[in-house]
Amino acid sequence: MELLRVENLCKNYGSGDALVKALQNVSFSLEKGEFAAVVGESGSGKSTLLNCIGGLDNPTSGKVYLDGEDLFALGEPKRTIFRRRHIGFIFQSFHLISELNVEQNLIFPLLLDHRKPEPSQVEELLELLGLKDRRRHLPSQLSGGQQQRVAIGRALIMRPAIILADEPTGNLDSKNSQDVIDLLTCASRQYQQTILMITHNIHLTSSADRILRVSDGVVTDLGGMQP
Amino acid sequence: MKNYLDLVPLTAKVNRRSSRMTRICIFLAVLLIAGIFGMADMQLQSQKIRSAYHDGTWHAAFNGITQEQASIIRSRPEIKASAWYDVTNYQLDEGYTIQGTQTVLCGMEENFLSFFPANEIVEGSFPVKADQVVATKGIRDRLHVQIGDPLHLTTPDGQALTFTISGFTGDSSMLTQKDAFGLFFGIDTYQMYFSSGTEKLDSQLFVQFVPYCNIQKNLSKIQSQFHLDKNQISQNTALLGMMFQSLDSYMIQLYLMVLLLAGLVILAGVLMITSSLNTSITQRTEFFGMLRCLGATPKQIRKFVRKEALGWCRLAIPSAILLSILICWVLCAVLRFISPGIFSSLPVFGVSWPAIFLSLALGVLTVLIAAHSPAQHAAKVSPLTALSGNFSHHSKINKAVPIRFWPIDVSLGIHRAKGNKKNFFLISASFAFSIILFLSFTTVVDFMNHAFQPLKPYAPDLSIISQDNTLSVDADLPEEIRKIPGVKRVFGRSFAYDLSASSHGQSLSVDLISYEEYQFQWAKEDMMLEGSTEEVKKGNGFLTVYSSLNPLKPGDTVTLHTDSGSIELPVFGMLSTCPFDQKMGKEVLICSENLFHQLTKNTGYTILDIQLDKNATDQEVSAIRELTGEGNRFSDKRMSNQETIGAYYSFALFLYGFLAAIALIAVFNIINCISMSVSAHIRQYGAMRAIGMSGRQLLRMVSCEAACYGISGIFFGCLIGLPLNRLFYHEMITSHWGTPWSFPFLPVTVIVLIVILAIFLAIWAPARRIRSLSVVDTINDH
Repeated sequence: MELLRVENLCKNYGSGDALVKALQNVSFSLEKGEFAAVVGESGSGKSTLLNCIGGLDNPTSGKVYLDGEDLFALGEPKRTIFRRRHIGFIFQSFHLISELNVEQNLIFPLLLDHRKPEPSQVEELLELLGLKDRRRHLPSQLSGGQQQRVAIGRALIMRPAIILADEPTGNLDSKNSQDVIDLLTCASRQYQQTILMITHNIHLTSSADRILRVSDGVVTDLGGMQP
Repeated sequence: MKNYLDLVPLTAKVNRRSSRMTRICIFLAVLLIAGIFGMADMQLQSQKIRSAYHDGTWHAAFNGITQEQASIIRSRPEIKASAWYDVTNYQLDEGYTIQGTQTVLCGMEENFLSFFPANEIVEGSFPVKADQVVATKGIRDRLHVQIGDPLHLTTPDGQALTFTISGFTGDSSMLTQKDAFGLFFGIDTYQMYFSSGTEKLDSQLFVQFVPYCNIQKNLSKIQSQFHLDKNQISQNTALLGMMFQSLDSYMIQLYLMVLLLAGLVILAGVLMITSSLNTSITQRTEFFGMLRCLGATPKQIRKFVRKEALGWCRLAIPSAILLSILICWVLCAVLRFISPGIFSSLPVFGVSWPAIFLSLALGVLTVLIAAHSPAQHAAKVSPLTALSGNFSHHSKINKAVPIRFWPIDVSLGIHRAKGNKKNFFLISASFAFSIILFLSFTTVVDFMNHAFQPLKPYAPDLSIISQDNTLSVDADLPEEIRKIPGVKRVFGRSFAYDLSASSHGQSLSVDLISYEEYQFQWAKEDMMLEGSTEEVKKGNGFLTVYSSLNPLKPGDTVTLHTDSGSIELPVFGMLSTCPFDQKMGKEVLICSENLFHQLTKNTGYTILDIQLDKNATDQEVSAIRELTGEGNRFSDKRMSNQETIGAYYSFALFLYGFLAAIALIAVFNIINCISMSVSAHIRQYGAMRAIGMSGRQLLRMVSCEAACYGISGIFFGCLIGLPLNRLFYHEMITSHWGTPWSFPFLPVTVIVLIVILAIFLAIWAPARRIRSLSVVDTINDH
C-alpha cells in the first residue's frame, strides 16, 4: 500500500546566475512499512528533499502526497497539525528540549496535540528504547546515543505514518549508530511505519529496504541492496 | 585579519540582529541617563533664571554691620561683587507717599540693580546727581511722568521732598500686588535724606561669591571673624539651593532625594545594559565554546567579549547623547515659548556638559561592568559545549518542567522565563526599575503642585481690598467694573470676623464669609470634601472648611449670634481648603450673599476679585484702579500670576518630560527584552515547530514567558516603588506641608497599564517573526 508519493518535486534557490536547482523533478513513492535510505554527497539535496517531504520547506513546484493527502494543498496551521500527527522527525543534533526530562520529551508531541499519554504506551516505548531507568533524567544527563534514542522515541510516540530521519547517526559512534538503526528497523517492523533516512554511512544502508541516491538534485532509485 | 580580535567586527556582522538589539538597549539606557540628567540640568538652569528674576542673583546679605566690617568683607578674594543697600518703608507702613500712594525708598550702589534682573533700569540711567532718583514703571504709567520731570515725595512728618527722575526700572510683583511705588536713590542721596529712618536690619551689604567657592564655609568664616549673629546673615536660599550650596535642612533633604532619584536612574540604566548583554552573550555560548575548541584562552575570550561590548558603544552612546541634546533643545524652546519674559535668557541650543560626561562615562563603564559577568561566563564555556548538540545552554538545568498544572506551551513559557534565574532577575528587575522610577518621580508631581501652586480657576488678576477688612467696598462696584471692556469676571466676598457661635453646646468663634455663584461653583468643583453647596446657595445653611481642630461637620447645626440676632442653621458641606487664610482656633462658615446681608445688615464687600480677558489693556486696568474708592486698596496680581504660571509650567514641562522618558524607555526596554529573549530561543522554536508545535502554541509560550517577566516586574516594582513613593512623599511634602501620603492609585494604574501595553507590543513583533519563521533555516542555523 502506497504511503508516500512524490511527484515532479523541484526546489530552486536564488535566481539568475545564482540559481541553484536543489531538487529536479524528483518522483518516487514509498510503501507503508518500507525503510528507505537516502544517500548522496554533501550539498546534493538530500536534506532539502527530506524537508520538502516533511512540509518544513515549500517546494518550487511538484507535489507530495502523504497517506493520500496533498501536503502543500493544506494551509500552514493545518499542515502543522498534519505534521504533528503523521510525520515523525529525527535530527542529527537531537533537538531535545533541555528543560524536559526523558519521559516529558517523549510525550511532548502528544501534549502539543492536547492528548493524554497512555501510561502503557509510554512504558512500552521506554522499554523499547532501553531508557526505563532514565525516564526522569534531563537530556544533559544522557549520552549522545541515549539522547538520540529519546529523539527516536519522540518521533514514534504519535505512531506517525512516516519517520523522516536526517542523519540520525551523524553525531554518534559506530556502536550507538548501529543501535539506533536497529531501533528504527525494529520500530518500522513493530508499528508498520515507513522510514526515510538520510545517511552518509554506507554500512548503515544494509538495514534499508530501498536506497535512493541524490546527486545534483536528481534522485535515482537504487532499489534494495544486499548486505 | 592580523589579530584574533579582528574577528569581533566580523561576528558582529553575522549577529546583526542580536547586536542591534543590544545596541538599542545601550542606546536607551544612555538616553535615559543623558536625557534625565540633561533635562534636570536645563530645569536647574531655568529655575536659576526664574529664581534670579524673582529673588535676585545675590548669594548672601549682611545686616547690622559697620562700614569698616563691610569693606573687609568686600575685599575678600572670594567675593565677586557686592553692593550696599538700604530700604525704608518696605512694609508700606511708615507713611512715605507720592500723591497718596505708599512708596518704598531704596538707597543703593549702582551695581545693586544687577543683582535683581527684574529691577534693571529699562529707561534712562542710574542717578548721578544728589537730587536724582530712579522710579518704578508704575510711577511713569500712573502719574504720566517722564525722565527729567520732578517727583514730589511726602514724608511721614508732612515734609515734601522733590527729586528729578533720571530713569525707570521694572516693577516687582510685590509692588504691583500692593499697588505701591518704588524709588531708587544713589546711596549718598539716600543716606542724606533717609538714613535716620532706616532700621538697622534694613541696611544691608549684598554679596555675590565667585563661582565654585564653598559659600557656606566662607559665610561661617565671616560670621566668626566679626562675631555676627545668625540673624545678621541672610541667604538667597532658593538660588543657593539650586547651586547645591545651601545648608538649609529642607534643601539638604531635597538633595538627598535628588541623589536617590539619580541613583535609581543610573541603576535602571546599568540593569538594562546588563540584562541585554547577558542575553546576547549567553545565546552565543556555543560560539565561545567553539573558540575555546580552536585554542582561545579564557582571557582571550574575556577580551573578545569586552571589545565586542565596546564596539556596540561606538554608535549607541553618541547617538543617545545627541538625541538627549535634541530633546533638551525642544523642551527649552517650549519653555521660551510658554514664558518668554522669564526664560528668554535660557540658551536656545544649550548643552548640558555634566549630563553628557556622566552618561558617556556611565555608558562605557556600565557596558564594561555589564560585560564582565557574561565575559567570565563565556570564558568558562567548556570546549565540549560547542560539540554537545543540545540546543539550550542558557543555564544549567537541574529540574524538569512541571507539566501537570498547565498546557505544555504555558508550562514551557513559564519555565523558560523562570528557568534562568539570573536572566529572570535581570529582566524582571529592569521592568521593576521602570515602575520604581515612575512611582518615585510621580511624588515630584505632588511636590510641584505644592511648591508651585498652579493658577487656580478662581485666581484673580486684580483685587480691590478693604484696607481695614471691613465691608467698605461698595456693593454696586462689581456692576460698574463689569461695564469696563476687558473684564471677564467680577466676584466679591464679604467677611464678618470673630462672630460667636455654638454647636452641640460648644462655643465657637467663627469668621462668616459670603460666596456668590462663581465661588460656589469653584468650591463644588475643586474643594468639596463632603456634602453639597446647593442648599447653601439658597441661603439655607453654611459650608465649613476642613482643619484638624474644626469640630463642625456636615449635618451639624450651628447657632450664629450676630448684631441682628441669632440664627440656627445646618452645615451642608465641608471644603478641603479656601482661598484665604484660616486662623488657629477660628472656624470658617461660608454662606450665600443674601444670608450674609440678612445676618449683618450690610451689603458691602471686603474684597472684590476681578479676572481679565487675555487682551485687557493697561488703560482698562487703570480705569478699574480709578474706581477703587476711599478706604480700599487696589492690588494688581498679573505679574505675580505670570511668575507663578512660568514657574509651574517650567517645572511641569521637565517633570512630565522625565515621566514620559521613563515610560517610553520602559516600553522600549520591555519590547527589546522580549525580542532578545525570542531571538535567543529562536532555534528551539524552529525545532518545536518541526516537531509539530503550531504558531499559536509557540506564541502562547512566548506570551507566557513575557507575562512572567511582566507580573514579577510589576510585583517587585510596586513592592519597592510604593514604599519609596511613600518615603519621597514624606520627605518632600509631608515634612513641609503636612499633607499625608495616600496610595498613588493613578500613577500605579498608569505605569501598570504602560507595562501591560508594552508587553502586548513586545509580543506583537515576535508573533510576526514566529509566523514567518522558516523551520528549515532556523534548525540549520547551527
